[in-house]
Amino acid sequence: MREVVVKVEDLKFRYREGKKRALDGVSFEVFKGEFFCIIGANGSGKSTLCNALVGLVPYYFTGNKKGSVVIDGVDTDNSSIAELSQKIGLVFQNPFNQLSYTASNVAEELAYGLGNHGVPRDEMIKRVEYVAKLMRIDHILHKNPLELSGGQVQRVAFGSTFILEPNILVLDECTTQLDPLGSEEIFDIVKELNKTGITVIMVDHDMERVARCADRIMVLDKGKTVCIDTPDAIFSNPDIVNYNIEAPDYVSICKALKERGYYSGDYKITEEPTVEVVKEALVK
Amino acid sequence: MAKAYNSYVKRDTFKENISPNVKIWPIFSYGLSAIIFPNIYLGLGLIVFLFILAFFSKLFKGFTKIMLGFGIPITLMLIFIHGFYGSKNETILYDFGPVQLGLEGVLHALKIVSSLLVFLGTFYIMNHTTYTGKLVASLTASGVNPKVGYLVLASLNVVPQMQRKLSVIQEAQTARGVETKGSLWHRFKVFVPLLGPVVLSSLTDAQERGMTLETRGFGIKNVKQTHYVEVFYTKTDKIIKYMLIGFFIVTLIITILMRLSVI
Amino acid sequence: MGKAKTKMTFVEGLKAQFTTKSLVLIPIAVGINLIGGSLCATLKLPLFMDMIGTIITAVLAGPWVAALVGLLTNIFLAIVSNPVYLPYALVSIGSGLVTGYMVRAGFFKKVWGVVLTWLACTLVSVIIASTITILVFGGATGATGASVLTATLIAATKKIVSSVFASSMIENLVDRGIAFLIAYVLVKKIPARFLSQYTASATRDDDESDDD
Repeated sequence: MREVVVKVEDLKFRYREGKKRALDGVSFEVFKGEFFCIIGANGSGKSTLCNALVGLVPYYFTGNKKGSVVIDGVDTDNSSIAELSQKIGLVFQNPFNQLSYTASNVAEELAYGLGNHGVPRDEMIKRVEYVAKLMRIDHILHKNPLELSGGQVQRVAFGSTFILEPNILVLDECTTQLDPLGSEEIFDIVKELNKTGITVIMVDHDMERVARCADRIMVLDKGKTVCIDTPDAIFSNPDIVNYNIEAPDYVSICKALKERGYYSGDYKITEEPTVEVVKEALVK
Repeated sequence: MAKAYNSYVKRDTFKENISPNVKIWPIFSYGLSAIIFPNIYLGLGLIVFLFILAFFSKLFKGFTKIMLGFGIPITLMLIFIHGFYGSKNETILYDFGPVQLGLEGVLHALKIVSSLLVFLGTFYIMNHTTYTGKLVASLTASGVNPKVGYLVLASLNVVPQMQRKLSVIQEAQTARGVETKGSLWHRFKVFVPLLGPVVLSSLTDAQERGMTLETRGFGIKNVKQTHYVEVFYTKTDKIIKYMLIGFFIVTLIITILMRLSVI
Repeated sequence: MGKAKTKMTFVEGLKAQFTTKSLVLIPIAVGINLIGGSLCATLKLPLFMDMIGTIITAVLAGPWVAALVGLLTNIFLAIVSNPVYLPYALVSIGSGLVTGYMVRAGFFKKVWGVVLTWLACTLVSVIIASTITILVFGGATGATGASVLTATLIAATKKIVSSVFASSMIENLVDRGIAFLIAYVLVKKIPARFLSQYTASATRDDDESDDD
């Protein structure tokens, strides 16, 4: 059996000043090395859930929490956020608030978390070099982090989370500041990291990307888990429209071909298989 | 308006190669010595020494500017107050008719100014030859709480950023035709809408920043913080530190002896 | 949860005030103080306005955090503009403490309470500031408008101590009054979601009734 690294059980949370629950019964498990995506409409509780995974809910966002979040065998209620940071890393939406504000250059910024964990200086320098190269920010290491462009800050923010080498990475729409090409670059890195055994939990609005990357997807609606399944099963299910989720265009292409009798197999959700289907249909 | 508050510029002088830890000592050693010493000569001597030090640290111009800029107005003001109205005045230096300039008052004023200038000067030189990141790294390495280090560095970085925000809003207001000149009341009315948005947006940012710090391991218990900036403490540093402490002790002994009229 | 809150020693209370949440607030509050001051300078308003951040901190995070904001503000003023500000850090610390404790006592809920806090804060400021002006600087710093006022008063009354007090009183009463007014307006505007993280001292098992 595969090892469970994240276990969320019947998680409910209501913000102190909120009337409705932001999370209203979320349960799921994530396996080691899995690429797990969370999708849902705006306000469905995705960000709140991400914050709960790293322990920020309910410590930073005060409110009423029920149920449990267990990360790598440790209940978030029994661990400080700082201690959890070695197991699970979160990249937020707004990269500008992810800077430590203590560094006068990017190298120091990247190293900040390592310093808090007491990593010796020679090791620090090695890791900074490695991460800078990985994130393609080695040319701006000497720059002031507060004077970078949005995309650059996002890369720095990502790098400074990843540098702590957590086994689980939570990405909460972490490419909003990047252009499409830059986003793809980041996702390629994430996929590489995932291949080396790091568990990835990702929230993203780009369904084509989700379809391409995810091992499994969880659909969230009004704070509730609707379903957890493989991308194929989720996107070929016609009901997902009810949760304000738009399946990748490839699904509609397959659907249209099927309706007209050119195709009879399963719906495809990514580019290449769809191309094959269309080729097949064209022959007919 | 938006400028970096780090006054340090690399100048490759010997002062930069001294551990930041040690550079804090002269402020106390020289400053306190100048205060306790019974007359103004030690203070004046130290000021001359600081000018020489500033010259070799390639800081002469800025140093002179701040020393004179601070020194001249306060000297005039204090000589006016104490020279003319000091209660201890006995020896009259010059009779202006309605008021008399007293020697004791003038000396008292000069004593205050010279001590202040010693503090100011050592502080200026320390401030301009030390990279703050290095100072904080070196302080935390020698046992200062990392939270203190955070406060110093974060304040240095946040303030210019807030000023940038402010100038953006200011430009937007000017573009919308809000005049920042005019009567006192008008200028005051402009003040609040300029400050308000910066304050509120900065406060909401604070929440996410705190989260970031913790998710990056800030405040973790039982771990000694390390730094990317190199921290060093050499034998020379140690010698300089003991010399500075020695200087203060010698001054203290001489002062006591002078007060007891032994010398 | 009432148990944990009622009985706390002074040191425990102090530690509870300095959470990461409060800590990140400090540089921002120092920033508010400083830009308030520099904005006054650009608009050529004859005020300091270097206390708005301290007051907001006093409301959000308590007296000692506010005191620290005051201290840091003066340290930075000393570094970037004029070292004269350094000894006056005691004034900022005192103002922060008085405001913080009066907020604790519930004075910030009503307008008359704010007025009382303003007056108390002004009084403390005047006493500390005058003492410093006399003891450290011998009567005037030569750096502010109040110095000229002091000198004029000394020339008229021939009394150093009372002249310093009087000019400090006039200066502080106006400055603090406006600072309190602005801070009060701003605190009212802070979103509830932000305020709530400070008002509740992070209780992880908050057992309030929930509609199950």
